Amino acid sequence: MKSKLWYLTGVSLKRKIKTKWFAIANILLLIAIIGIVNIDNIINFFGGDFDEKNKLYIVDNTSYTYDTLANLVTTTSETYNDGESNFEIKKYSKTKEELKKEIEKDDKIIGLIVDKDENNYLDVTLISKEYIDNIDYQILNTSINNTKINIALSLSNIDKEEINKIYSAIDIKREYIDENKKSEEESQSMIMTTVFPFIILPFFMLTTILIQMIGAEVNDEKTTRGMEIIISNVSAKTHFYSKVIAGNTFVIMQGLLLLIYSAIAILSRKIFGGSLNSGVVLQVTSIAKDVMGNDIINKLLYTIPIVLVLMLLTFVAYSLVAGILASVTTNTEDFQQLQTPIMIVLLIGYYFAVMASNFEGSIFIRVMSYIPFISAIVSPSLLVLGEIGLMDVGISIILMILTIYLLTKYGLKIYKVGILNYSSTGLWKKMLKALKN
Amino acid sequence: MLKVENVTKYYGDFKAVDNLSFTVNKGEIFGLLGVNGAGKTTTFRMIMGLLDVTDGNITLDGKKIDYDVTDKIGFLTEERSLLTKLSVKEQALFYGTLKGMNKNKILQKLDDLLEEFGISQYKNKKIKELSKGNQQKVQFIMAIINDPSLLILDEPFSGLDPFNIELFKNKITELSNSGSMIIFSSHRMEHVELFCKKLLILQNGKTVLQGELDKIKEKYGKKNILIKGDIDTKKIEKIEGVIKVTELANEYEIKINDKTVVDDVFKAVKNNKITKFLVEEPSLNEIFVSKVGENYEK
Repeated sequence: MKSKLWYLTGVSLKRKIKTKWFAIANILLLIAIIGIVNIDNIINFFGGDFDEKNKLYIVDNTSYTYDTLANLVTTTSETYNDGESNFEIKKYSKTKEELKKEIEKDDKIIGLIVDKDENNYLDVTLISKEYIDNIDYQILNTSINNTKINIALSLSNIDKEEINKIYSAIDIKREYIDENKKSEEESQSMIMTTVFPFIILPFFMLTTILIQMIGAEVNDEKTTRGMEIIISNVSAKTHFYSKVIAGNTFVIMQGLLLLIYSAIAILSRKIFGGSLNSGVVLQVTSIAKDVMGNDIINKLLYTIPIVLVLMLLTFVAYSLVAGILASVTTNTEDFQQLQTPIMIVLLIGYYFAVMASNFEGSIFIRVMSYIPFISAIVSPSLLVLGEIGLMDVGISIILMILTIYLLTKYGLKIYKVGILNYSSTGLWKKMLKALKN
Repeated sequence: MLKVENVTKYYGDFKAVDNLSFTVNKGEIFGLLGVNGAGKTTTFRMIMGLLDVTDGNITLDGKKIDYDVTDKIGFLTEERSLLTKLSVKEQALFYGTLKGMNKNKILQKLDDLLEEFGISQYKNKKIKELSKGNQQKVQFIMAIINDPSLLILDEPFSGLDPFNIELFKNKITELSNSGSMIIFSSHRMEHVELFCKKLLILQNGKTVLQGELDKIKEKYGKKNILIKGDIDTKKIEKIEGVIKVTELANEYEIKINDKTVVDDVFKAVKNNKITKFLVEEPSLNEIFVSKVGENYEK
């Protein structure tokens, strides 16, 4: 019987892997991951430029505004863009009409014509070919207004040094009583940039694949009545376990493939001449540096294996539920309907995980991290935030094992009856009766 | 020998099969008949070990049904039990392996059977791409690929043309001659009559008729007389023991209570211009309708 279990498992796996759709889906995944990692190179290749700056041509008809304005635009832009200005500034001495002609040819040029104004010190006209970026407009607006104040102050005989002091930004120093705590925004950012793409999203995706794979297979064998032939030669228990093992093996394989695709994508970035210090890779590395700097890396080294154990157990639990539900349905449409509550449970976990930082310190979110089926999604976020410890994950694992035990014990009874039942009437009655037997 | 002894099956409070008993010996073709919902599928499922009996025993060659025993059983279900996304070869390998056969033996047997049924060209085709008739052939091949000692055939001729029905009949006879026990179920009584020397009719899980076909017909008593020629139907209808006179396409069918009525009917028509006077046993269909009808009325 043992050999039939492995034979059935192998057949299920082959049926999934040896399809053109598996190959097509994986090729598309590989392309998508390579594309995301190399997005800046791709845009550059098609003639765009992530780093292309605006060209700011200033026509200074006042003769005293250009230096101050150029300086303020540069510093303000640097503040908005992580220390790098988004403007190449040039003093333009030709006519307004000629400036317009140049703007017509190059949409990256923004023209500023600065004139004297008796009431407001300055009169400024901004010329662009199309709409300009909202942030760029904010930068220019702030700089122009500050230039006006600057000029006003200098006309009031305040020396330049004093004006610079007035305009210099205040560096706000931050201190945390609890060293592990970060601000809510920083926590959210950490979840969204580290835990979300590397743990929550793949887990969500793989769980969905797992549920659909097991449901589709059981349904297919049941609706074609092939189930009667199969179950007359192997026990329902063997059949059930073969589906669970095959499903879980498949998602683990798919998970490993995703890791390989990510490695290929990073390698491709090097090959295509892209820097590993820009784009998505930069985000990842900068977050990784933050993480290391905050001693979180040491925490991750021992939390990753335990989270993986919890995730694998959760995969098993979801596959058991998918098998049980698929056994009581009589067609694919019914299974798709029954699948909805499972997806909602997954989504609840997903949102709790993403918004974990909003619940900081609450017992509610800690309890959520124990709940089977969502614990594997919620726990990683809370672990990274320092909201829960390994002991809590241990509790989640124990609860998950208990859930798997109960699902196996009682679910198998439903499965045995369900797979040979072709009527959807009195379904709950049949399930309850199967549980009592 | 397959032995079904006093088997009863309940689904909750519903009695699906009530105290069913029959035996099928080696080389025998046994007819298990009944209208829809009579309990045939439940009986097949119990023989296949898919369902536990509530009471009674089922043994094959003296052994209780388990997964070793079911390796020797072939089952052709009424609905298609094929995984239609697989090719014929993949399907054979799948079911054959589950029956405990090795790969070489499965492929050898598959080639022989595909050849015999004239569908060798479909070996690597997906089952869903085949016609209904060819799918039925594949289903039959899957049921017999393990040379079953017990073969259960539930509506085996479904979707077949007369030529292929003949092909199936020959194969079923061949299997029977080689010693396979066969349980045959069909709503087409003429097919059952062709094969089955022994049969059982189920209704609402209860046995309403059981035994050897010849004896059943003998016991049933009623006969049919077929007459071709000019006859006075009103005169015949008045004869005691005549149940009904029916005008067919070019002859008359006279149903009588028993064979003693034959002489009276013959006397009534012997002076007429007749070219045919034939006394027939009642068809199984007639007996089935009569017996099941009686029970409906009860």
